[in-house]
Amino acid sequence: MEIYDLIIIGAGPAGMTAGVFAVRKGLKTIIVSKDVGGQVNWTTDIENYMGFEEIDGQALMDKFEEQLEQHHLAEKQAGVKVLRREEDLFVVETDQAEQLKSRAVIICSGKKPKTLNVPGEKEFRNKGVSYCSTCDGPLFRDVPVAIVGGGNSAVKAALDLANYASEIHLISLTDLTADAILAERIKAIAQLKAYLKHSVIEIKGTKNVESVVVETADTKKRFELPVQGVFIEIGLDPNTDFVDETVERNEQHEIKIDCYCRTSVPGLFAAGDVSSVPEKQIIIAAGEGAKAAIKAWEYLVNKYPNECLVNS
Amino acid sequence: MSEVVIYTSPSCPWCTKLKDYLDEKGVGYQEIDVSEDYNAAMKMVDLTGQRSVPVLMKGEQYVIGYNPEQIDRILQ
Repeated sequence: MEIYDLIIIGAGPAGMTAGVFAVRKGLKTIIVSKDVGGQVNWTTDIENYMGFEEIDGQALMDKFEEQLEQHHLAEKQAGVKVLRREEDLFVVETDQAEQLKSRAVIICSGKKPKTLNVPGEKEFRNKGVSYCSTCDGPLFRDVPVAIVGGGNSAVKAALDLANYASEIHLISLTDLTADAILAERIKAIAQLKAYLKHSVIEIKGTKNVESVVVETADTKKRFELPVQGVFIEIGLDPNTDFVDETVERNEQHEIKIDCYCRTSVPGLFAAGDVSSVPEKQIIIAAGEGAKAAIKAWEYLVNKYPNECLVNS
Repeated sequence: MSEVVIYTSPSCPWCTKLKDYLDEKGVGYQEIDVSEDYNAAMKMVDLTGQRSVPVLMKGEQYVIGYNPEQIDRILQ
C-alpha cells in the first residue's frame, strides 16, 4: 500500500491552505474530504478576508480550490470513518471502505451546525425547521419566523430573512454576541423583535411548523409564538467522530492543540475550527492550516530524515 | 420543456452542487428560482410537503436536498 508523508482530513480554508504549503515543502500529501469549502460554503458576503473587500463564501472557496489544483495534490472525495494508529503510521478509513496510510496527519475537519434538541426539531426538519437561511429564506415570504441564537450566524440569518418574512422573532439564550457591526445592522429591521435571555423549548405543528414555545430564562414563564419557520443558528460542534479518545479535547470537544498545531499524539496536527485555536474565522483557519503544514514538515524531517519526500 | 425541474435559491450552496452535478451528467433541466417565482415555489411546497431547497422533480417523483444516489435513481 502507498504510504503518504501526510494526510490532510478536510478541505475547508485550513485543509486547502495546509495542502498548498505541504506540497510546496515537497511532502507526498493527500487531502481527504467529503466536500470542498466546508462551512464557508454556507456563508455569504464575507467582508473580513483580506484581499477581498467583499466576497461570497463559495466564490472564495472556488479561488482556494483553483490554487490547490495548481499544485497537483492527490485528492480523495470521501468522508473519514476512522483515524487510528498502526505501529508508526496513521491509518485513515474512509466511508468508501478504503484505507490510506501516512506518517503524519493534519485534521482540518471543521464543524457542523448544532441542533437544538427540543421536541419537534427532528419531526419538522425541512417542514419549517431550517439550518440554512440563505437557502430556504425565500420560501418564507410574508410569514412569521423565529431565529434561535444570538451570534453572527443568527444575526446574518435575520438580515437574510428581513427580505422575506413578515415578522422575525430572534430568540437568544444570552445577550447578542454577534460582531457590533452586524448587531447594529439588525436595528434597521422593522419587523424584528428580539427575545434575549429566552430559550425555545418546543417546536409545535401538525404537518408543518405552526408555533414555538418560548421560556424566559429568569422567571421560567412560558409563552407561544405563532411562526411558520424556525431557523436554528446556535453555533457549531466539531467534526471529530472519527477520532478516538487518545486525542485530547477541550470542554467544547475541540481537539486540543498547542501554538504549533500539535495535538496530544505525536505526528497528529489539527488546524482551523475543529481545533482549540481561539477564534473561528476563515482568515485564522487559513493561517493555522499553513502553520500546521510547516510544523508537520518539520516533524517529518526530524523523524524520517531519509524517508520523506522532503526537499524534492 | 425539460422533464426535470429543479427548485433553487440564489445563495444556496447545495443548489449549486445539484446544478453542477446535472451539468456534469449532461442532464437538461428547467430551473425555478424560488426567490423569483413564489407561486411555483408554493406549489412545490404543497406537492412535497417540504419547505426546503434544492428540490429535483421528475414527473411525480422528487428528491429533497442534494443526494446524488437518489437523483441517479430518479433519472434512470
